[in-house]
Amino acid sequence: MFQKFGLVQLNLIPLVDTFVAIVFFSLTAATVGDLAPILNGVTLPQAKVGAPAHQELTLGVSSRPAAIVFNGHQVMSATAAAQATSNVPDQPLVVPQLYTALKTAADSIRNVNGVSQNESVTTPLAIQGDKTMRYDLLQRLLQTARLAGFRTITLQVQRATEQGEAATVTM
Amino acid sequence: MASRFHKLRARHQEREPLTAHGRINLVPLVDILTSIVFFSLLTYTGAVMTNLTAFDLALPPVVVTAPGTTSGAQPDTTTLILAVGIKQGLIRVEHSNGGQAPFAQNIAGHGPASLDTLQTVLNNIKQQFPDADAAMVVPDDDVAYDDIVHVLERVKLARFPKISLTSAARSMQVATNNPGGR
Repeated sequence: MFQKFGLVQLNLIPLVDTFVAIVFFSLTAATVGDLAPILNGVTLPQAKVGAPAHQELTLGVSSRPAAIVFNGHQVMSATAAAQATSNVPDQPLVVPQLYTALKTAADSIRNVNGVSQNESVTTPLAIQGDKTMRYDLLQRLLQTARLAGFRTITLQVQRATEQGEAATVTM
Repeated sequence: MASRFHKLRARHQEREPLTAHGRINLVPLVDILTSIVFFSLLTYTGAVMTNLTAFDLALPPVVVTAPGTTSGAQPDTTTLILAVGIKQGLIRVEHSNGGQAPFAQNIAGHGPASLDTLQTVLNNIKQQFPDADAAMVVPDDDVAYDDIVHVLERVKLARFPKISLTSAARSMQVATNNPGGR
């Protein structure tokens, strides 16, 4: 019939298929795209309470290998962080190398937000710590982050199921 | 004049390109679905991500506002000072007991039974002081992060939403749970 009237036949099937793919990935991205991924080499503790974790600037303490990771980049080894000597007077917990990395990120956020360099930033910093991490190292991370300008910290842990075990294995 | 049979045959031939062999061509759909499955498996982190949860902390700011601007600060309405100490193989609960003799109780271990006991003790304290909503968690330096998170979880479950994470060794506050947070 199309040929009879000199019309071009339009095959809509590939278009429909493409829209199926777009809808699928849009729904997937909207559902899980905002949620936080777990860093490699980190075995998170499990907890039944807490708010849903969102994707944020992430400071990780991995155990395989034992390292401090900020935004996907290894800053230093966990041992070096635990043994680092502070270079800030009256602040013995500051880890200088990590402080530099966090300060750079905080300054960048301040520039974007037009905030004074002396003010803390409200952008959250997520900490994904391995379950074997000692509290003295966590203290050093918290204090370093605070002095770098972050005042909102979230401790991201794995949500435990009703049976007390997570449904998936941590990466 | 064309017979009815010929008309039907002509219509059938017109439709043929769209429904060749009487079927919809599903090959492109299968191709697309194969791509979806492939990339989904390749980037599969959804189940891991949805299992994450967070404890929000608000650190004291480094730059303190000028003294003149703090007049609007809320008055201290603390009714009870409650501390949960975490030591190696021991959890210690202490509180000011509303002006009476201070309360203290040691709970051996960090296992599920010990944590259940801790929650029971905290629930009793909450019943005794329903207005109290703040608790200090004081881990020792050598305590594992896993044990700290479990204690934080039980303190939250006992309806003490304002949790301070403090250090006994250095006697300085490190982080405070966001009172108005999520």
